[in-house]
Amino acid sequence: MITEAIKSKLRAVVGDENVLDTNLDRFGYSYDSSFIPLLPANNPDIVVRPLTTDEVSKVMVIANAHAIPVTARGAASGRTGGSIPVRGGMSLALDRMTRIIEFDERNMMVTVEPGVRTIDLYNHCAAKGLFYPPDPASWKFSTMGGNVAENAGGMRAVKYGVTNNYVMGLEVVLADGRVINTGGKAIKNVTGYNLTQLFTGSEGTLGIITKMTLRLISMPKARNTLQLMFPSLDDACATIHAMLQAGIVPAAAELMDKMSLQAVARHRKLDIDQAIEACVVIEIDGEDTAALDKQAEAIEKIARSLRVAEVRIAADAKEAEDIWAIRRGLSSAVGAMAPTRLGEDISVPRDAFPEVVRRIKKISETHGIPIAVYGHAGDGNLHPSVLCDLAKPGEEERVHKAVDEIFAVALEVGGTLSGEHGIGMTKRKYIASALGEDGVEVLKAIKLALDPKGILNPDKVW
Amino acid sequence: MDKDKDLLQQVKEIVSQCDRCGTCLPVCPLFGVKDIEASSARGKNNLARAMVEGGFAPDAKMLEKMNFCLLCRTCIDNCPSKVKTDEATIALRQYIADRTGGPGVKYRALGGMLKKTGLVKLSAGALGVTKKLGLGGLVPFGMAPSTLGREQYLARFAGPAALAGPSPASPAAVGADTKVAYFHGCGMRMMFPDAVAETLTILGTVTAVRQVDNVCCGLPHLAHGMRDDFLALAKENIRLFADADVIVSDCASCAGTLKHIGAYLADDPEWRDAAKAFSAKIMSLSEYLVKAGYRPRQRAGAKLTFHEPCHLGRGQGIKKEPRQLLKEAGDYVEMPGADTCCGGAGSFHIDYPEAAAAVLDKKQANIEKSGADIVVSECPVCLVQLNKAAEKSGGRFKVMHISQVL
Repeated sequence: MITEAIKSKLRAVVGDENVLDTNLDRFGYSYDSSFIPLLPANNPDIVVRPLTTDEVSKVMVIANAHAIPVTARGAASGRTGGSIPVRGGMSLALDRMTRIIEFDERNMMVTVEPGVRTIDLYNHCAAKGLFYPPDPASWKFSTMGGNVAENAGGMRAVKYGVTNNYVMGLEVVLADGRVINTGGKAIKNVTGYNLTQLFTGSEGTLGIITKMTLRLISMPKARNTLQLMFPSLDDACATIHAMLQAGIVPAAAELMDKMSLQAVARHRKLDIDQAIEACVVIEIDGEDTAALDKQAEAIEKIARSLRVAEVRIAADAKEAEDIWAIRRGLSSAVGAMAPTRLGEDISVPRDAFPEVVRRIKKISETHGIPIAVYGHAGDGNLHPSVLCDLAKPGEEERVHKAVDEIFAVALEVGGTLSGEHGIGMTKRKYIASALGEDGVEVLKAIKLALDPKGILNPDKVW
Repeated sequence: MDKDKDLLQQVKEIVSQCDRCGTCLPVCPLFGVKDIEASSARGKNNLARAMVEGGFAPDAKMLEKMNFCLLCRTCIDNCPSKVKTDEATIALRQYIADRTGGPGVKYRALGGMLKKTGLVKLSAGALGVTKKLGLGGLVPFGMAPSTLGREQYLARFAGPAALAGPSPASPAAVGADTKVAYFHGCGMRMMFPDAVAETLTILGTVTAVRQVDNVCCGLPHLAHGMRDDFLALAKENIRLFADADVIVSDCASCAGTLKHIGAYLADDPEWRDAAKAFSAKIMSLSEYLVKAGYRPRQRAGAKLTFHEPCHLGRGQGIKKEPRQLLKEAGDYVEMPGADTCCGGAGSFHIDYPEAAAAVLDKKQANIEKSGADIVVSECPVCLVQLNKAAEKSGGRFKVMHISQVL
């Protein structure tokens, strides 16, 4: 419970209009984009919306003094419950902190506040010829604070890496309100532990990130898109595999299985041949169109040798956009196929991709539960979508078994539980199997050192 | 009771499609001026879902949350799952109104007034009534001086073509014996009679337009928990227009609503077929004019821009037609965010004046950025809002209905 006295203190810090405490308003901060049920609602007791680091610090001093749980929140577009205030307390909404503080063109770095949307950061840099590559599917609405806290990935990871490859330095408000700065603009930096990388991906459990300095690269001059249709899923996977081994690194290589593809076809009213078992969408980039043509030619040759049914090379930006629209609409199209979709996010060594896809199909058959598979084939990150109706008798048990087996497969082939969504609430119970008991103990020790009262995003990760 | 169940089922089916991804947040005009979760489509859809699942009571507080929506459909346009937030919101308003003893005094008064054709027709009388009811904001008293009549427009912006006099009547592409009727919208009738006269003049150059003593399209009733009234009005209009082949409305909201009557009566065996046929006959003014091959009477030297009413563009998919006509009627320039809601949204601008004004401020900035002399639209509520913006801009632009410049 947060007393009226504490509420007034919080109001004094951020202003009356930036504190929400009615029943209906608080409910809006109780969910994210995960499959965690809306009810019983995980309402915060209060929503606090600071504008500056100083306000965040003062809010944390109050929270720490009264041992109030604090869960940071950006756009609540996460998929694992990271921003859900599962123990009530305070939802610390950082979406008002939207300043791009500095654009350092010479060092090719940008410093932003957590509420800046990924797309706005991208556009801001692109206008000046610089490139911020991480592109989680949610990039049009997710915020940078969430991207860094969850270490978001995206489709370009195969060539350009994920969020943590771009985070150079952070300003973090600690649980007790102290403010520290980690890292910085120096490219070589071995001064002390690498706290920047520790806070990146810490899911709001170690501190509140209030500023981030991000590295940029030069914008690729030319891009194009290819769509490959395969009558065999194995051949599709093998094509990506062979491509990478031949030294052709695409900017993105996305794979969709038949079930995913037909879902999009229905959604977008397209007609896709039932004989097609897998579709691969590839983005290539380079210096000029000649470089692109060369890559496209090499990819086509490999695909032909692996029995591709159809190769489509976008003739212009519009066609490229049409092809990408299929991939972008995928998650929602698949989600619409069943009352409940459990979207998972396993990540495996690249060469295990075809094997894992095959084994997931087998799990699907064994339990009689449809599982659509799509993902970032170029980097080994897959999104198996378990499609179910939890209202059916026995369904929940079957689903849980199937999910357990998917995770077991991922770990068996040397992969892990999450590539880009984080652990949050939904994958907590599996973490020991991935990290080992001792591994989890180390996480807990770090947490205890930084947040002795355990107020920051409690009941997450493990 | 069954009706209640149907409404809840309808709401449930829609809102359970929401994946809570958050796509709708940055595109929602209301979230843009009041950025808390409950303003957004995701916020409302999930409040609705929690209510349907028993987490919240269907009470006045919930209704207030549902009323805070422009029904502009921008969220639906952007939603990857195309969740019909507007339909869910409308159905939930109805459900709560049924449970809490009606839509509230104000909406009931407005609905009651609009049901009575006589009151609407006697526009002076209607203005008096609305003023007494405290609905003055709906009707722009004192707005007239800032609007621009067609004669003044021609005098000011007469281009070479205008000097040559009106162009001859266009041969209608919609067959010569097509029976075309005009639908008198309440808003147009009460607030913009000059524009109605121009609409009738234009239609008269294409066809022998029939005038029908129609009743309200029912949107205000549908949107605010008076579904029975909406359905009664719909049936009356179906009956009144039985003879017409095409029914033209110069109000985007009327046309949009009338086009949906078929869907709302799809489960009524007695009315289903007639309703479907009726909806298929409806055309918005610019849609009809383009189909009929109408050419503007003059090309003026005015810089024109178009504010696309939500119920025209997203509501009916009519986007190209008004622009095509305006390109022939003057020096057309597209403004940024032309299809963003102006904040009018029926009676929203009366209920939430501050939010509506904040939404309108952005629209005003975009109109000014375009450098247009005239902002043209095809919806009376938009015209009311835009007139407020014109006044605030200190006369940097004027506002006209599309019929006045064609």
